[in-house]
Amino acid sequence: MNREIYAYKCKRCGTMHYPFRMVCKECKQNDFFEFDTVPLPKNGKLLTYTKVYNLPAQYEVATLGLGIVELENGMRMLGQIEIDNPKMGMPVKGNVEVVRQEDYDDFYGMVFRDA
Amino acid sequence: MRDVYVAGIGITTFTRLEFALSEIASYASMMALKDAGVSEVDDVYVANMGAPRVNHQTALASAVVDSLSLTPAGAAAIENGPASGGSAIKAGFQAVASGMSDVVLVAGVERMREVNNLEATDFVATLTHPIAEYIYGVTLPAHAAMFTRLYMEKYGVTERHLAMVGVKNQNAALNNEWAHLQQEITLEGILDSPEAMTNNPYVAEPLRFFDACPVSDGGAAVILVSKEKALELGRPLIRLSGIGQATDTHAVHERVEPTDLLAVRKAAADAFEMAGLTPEDVDVAELHDAFTILEIAESEEVGFFPKGEGHLALERGETALGGKIPINVGGGLKGRGHPVGATGVAQAWEIVTQLRGDGGARQVEDAKVGFTCNFGGFGNNVVCLTFVREG
Ligand SMILES: [Zn+2]
Repeated sequence: MNREIYAYKCKRCGTMHYPFRMVCKECKQNDFFEFDTVPLPKNGKLLTYTKVYNLPAQYEVATLGLGIVELENGMRMLGQIEIDNPKMGMPVKGNVEVVRQEDYDDFYGMVFRDA
Repeated sequence: MRDVYVAGIGITTFTRLEFALSEIASYASMMALKDAGVSEVDDVYVANMGAPRVNHQTALASAVVDSLSLTPAGAAAIENGPASGGSAIKAGFQAVASGMSDVVLVAGVERMREVNNLEATDFVATLTHPIAEYIYGVTLPAHAAMFTRLYMEKYGVTERHLAMVGVKNQNAALNNEWAHLQQEITLEGILDSPEAMTNNPYVAEPLRFFDACPVSDGGAAVILVSKEKALELGRPLIRLSGIGQATDTHAVHERVEPTDLLAVRKAAADAFEMAGLTPEDVDVAELHDAFTILEIAESEEVGFFPKGEGHLALERGETALGGKIPINVGGGLKGRGHPVGATGVAQAWEIVTQLRGDGGARQVEDAKVGFTCNFGGFGNNVVCLTFVREG
């Protein structure tokens, strides 16, 4: 299944937001839910990253890769990374997958790999 | 607006404490009340982040005010993440400055060692954006690590600079009997020796174990009073002269320039403007070094050094005791410890100690103006304060 993560485009001024906010940060329009959803691009470049060793209790892995990616439309997002030798500026490609499991709940988010 | 003075201060040892949360807050408060020479207050503000989640306790201020037999004074808890302490001091200031209260107790407290380290890390991580950050397993060390990598790339900060902050602050804590860490460290031991990778492993690359503050329990308290009351009590006149608070985007990735800490910049500028001071006037500062990189970045954003040059000032020794602007002479969060809700109040405790000339081996000579930066979230909610000794 091809899952998406959505950006929120202000119906009044067109500004794109990720994550969701109730009021547009650009035009401050105060109309309820006046945003269109637009799928975030999945290709981008790795802006910064880390490998974390002390993970929250739910993670049953030794380390976790995390990064902030600048997507090809200029928006940014944080995601997990599965890249052996990450480098700042390298091209990456995202896929929406399970990023956290708690009890019987699955949480989906973007996982980036070497493009 | 009335002038507001700090008439009393108190603190507990920062470490693992086997006392109830409200007792830790009360202990620091009793010291502050005794120091000020007051036994009645108009209002109590208790800064705390984790009581409902970590200690299974809500309405903490109601417990503290009664434990201290200060009823029927007003009482409220203030939860504002790691900036809870600074926020509670701001609330106390507003109460006195407005004329509604003459004497206010502000206590900060956290008891995080009640749960294991992984649970404590997860509890602090709940301050991140729930959908865009938290679900990915992001922790505060992870945010700090990604920020550090950008800082290294842009400004030439190295792991050695980070380690220098760690050594400076952890060893400064040796001069502070209340501080959590009482173990001397060296650059050799944590960076240069063959054992360094074992002694000082990565927790979130490029940050290592000694780049992060410890997980601590502890409490701190201050008594804020009107000028009339301050003169009556006869303690050294330390005025809380400036307060700035500013916020930034919840999700870190949304910030236009990811190496900027705009909330720190604005909170500091507002505090200095309110006080009629400039960064050059500051004799001693407490910056929020939950991670070593933050001391470097904040030292720039608050205006002590130009952006990108904090690590150079560190190299020149300007931020050490005896330097141009001594930072975290009591150990900072790195050495003193970081019981989250207590930290902003503990920073004020250290500055008042310094302005009174009671710093002992860590005293900054003739300190008249002090500054604190209490950094909440990952830089998305920041409170800065200025303190001035009068007379
Ligand atoms: Zn808009």
